[in-house]
Amino acid sequence: MVGAAGLAASGQSGAEIPRRPLGRTGLEVSALGIGGYHLGSADSDAEATQIVNEALDAGVNFFDNAWEYHQGVSEERLGRALKGKRDRAVVMTKVCTHGRDKNVAMRQLEESLTRLQTDHVDVWQIHEVIYENDPDLIFAPNGAAEALLEAKQQGKVRFLGFTGHKDPSIHLKMLSHNFPFDTVQMPLNCLDATFRSFESNVLPEVNRRGIAALGMKSLGGSGELVSQGAVVVTMGLHYAMSLPVSVTISGIDSLGVLHQNLEVARGFQPFSAAEMQTIRDACRFDASDGHMELFKTTKKYDGDLGREMHGFPSSAELPA
Amino acid sequence: MIPLRQFGRHNVKISAIGFGGHHLGDAPDEPAAVRLVREAVDGGITFFDNCWEYHRGKTEAWMGAGLAGVRDRVFLMTKVCTHGRDKALALRMLDESLHRLRTDHLDLWQIHGVCFDNDPDLFIRKGGAAEALEQAKKEGKVRFVGFTGHKDPSIHLKMLATGFPFDSVQMPLNAFDANFHSFEQQVLPELNRRGIAALGMKPICGHGSPVQKGVLTGEEALGYAMSLPVTTTITGIDKPEALQQALKVAQDFEPLQPAAIKALRDRCRQYAADGRFELYKLSLQFDNPEARLAHGFPLDMQQVEVREMLRMADNSGRPFPPTK
Repeated sequence: MVGAAGLAASGQSGAEIPRRPLGRTGLEVSALGIGGYHLGSADSDAEATQIVNEALDAGVNFFDNAWEYHQGVSEERLGRALKGKRDRAVVMTKVCTHGRDKNVAMRQLEESLTRLQTDHVDVWQIHEVIYENDPDLIFAPNGAAEALLEAKQQGKVRFLGFTGHKDPSIHLKMLSHNFPFDTVQMPLNCLDATFRSFESNVLPEVNRRGIAALGMKSLGGSGELVSQGAVVVTMGLHYAMSLPVSVTISGIDSLGVLHQNLEVARGFQPFSAAEMQTIRDACRFDASDGHMELFKTTKKYDGDLGREMHGFPSSAELPA
Repeated sequence: MIPLRQFGRHNVKISAIGFGGHHLGDAPDEPAAVRLVREAVDGGITFFDNCWEYHRGKTEAWMGAGLAGVRDRVFLMTKVCTHGRDKALALRMLDESLHRLRTDHLDLWQIHGVCFDNDPDLFIRKGGAAEALEQAKKEGKVRFVGFTGHKDPSIHLKMLATGFPFDSVQMPLNAFDANFHSFEQQVLPELNRRGIAALGMKPICGHGSPVQKGVLTGEEALGYAMSLPVTTTITGIDKPEALQQALKVAQDFEPLQPAAIKALRDRCRQYAADGRFELYKLSLQFDNPEARLAHGFPLDMQQVEVREMLRMADNSGRPFPPTK
């Protein structure tokens, strides 16, 4: 396991959480963001509200979500928690057409806005671009790409993006359409660095185009990198945050996890290139068959709605 | 008569259709399995597939019983299941396979389930399974060696890039594969170029789902796979009807014309696009419990599908032999 010995992996207590430009949007976002899925997994509405409020007060301003997380509960929780504080937050949510048309997308946007109790989202992304034909379906006539442009024109969303956790080649296929994406979200962690790597294959391209990179799954999605012994929490998060990304979105389902991650983010200083290489090398063997990055190698992290739209068995029938 | 085809660069001929061993374990009992094997031999099938870990040895034992007395009329293959583990384990498995199959040699011994990105590295490492293949060949326990996997063409190409002198390579080949992570496009031409025998499998995608969904018939699926430049197409046989269908398609088989091939590919193209009928490429469903365990992938015993998979494999959920 790569531990903290020799490498200072936590930030400085009391210092501020750094802000970074969100690509060319003109917005500045905190280096640590709050993941929406886990907000829906928190024990209660009250704890979710407290997570959001404490995060805001600590200087976190980026909040992730998706129309389909917990059947809307994640968006509702975020909407309630941000009531009266909406303008302090950069709110992102995602549209879940999974290949269906523009009308489905526009309907979902209205539902997201209602649940989030706002008249606009700052970033609207296409969710879970993980099937090989998703780019074709998204850019087909009357597809989701048209919905993105229309929503922007209507002022209901400010910036556009997409996300997926499966394969760099699918992300690159999306980018090849030269659509004016402002953000691209992807898994980035110290094992990804040497296995079906978004860090090597997608991140440089996104940086080159001036698109904001949003990192996720810094610890494997459910902490697999830690529970299976590849890396300690602080080191894994610090690695992900040291990459050239605007924000690292972290799943936080309790105040305990929030406090732990805020400690890494406060006064954050990126690892040096040599330190990054040391960590990559130490993780190389664990990375080599993808058994801790299950979102790439199994069906475990692929949502049921997307599976249904693509004719795949549900998670109950085909868990991994 | 079932056509015979040349086994790669060797002067050996095998039947254009092969008897898939895994499904034999789904036969109701040993006498039924023995009858299936005998009828297949009488029907002109000479290629028999099996594997050390199928149904925890049951299919090897049943096939061994079925081939008693006719062993020398067939070309017998089984597979070794180290999943990255070492040479000594491989050789132990070989002796168990020979014992169950009631023979003193295999015609072909293949590395099973090359499905994980690091399998080629683990295979060729010092003390790895590659050394077992060489030694078994030298000792006369196996005539030819190869490998198989159903996951990704890039892993097959990485195995070939190790430079190991394989005699055969097995892979999924069907009308869906033609347009999705394609072994047909990426691996098959390379094997043909090198004179390595190509063995096709999963002609109906493993469990026949596209036939059940009405996309194509069993005959069409088998006809497509057998028309590719392969030595044999291995199809799962669990009951007399499956055997009869395979024998019927293979009888005096003539490859489909290019136009018919193209029409089948085109019909399957929209389903191939997201891999919905080729779950073996996209999920761990077809990666057996032993392989997952050897690679440290989790087995969630709360999941119905995992429990069913373990039951089908007569597996306890604990690695055998122990991994650490």
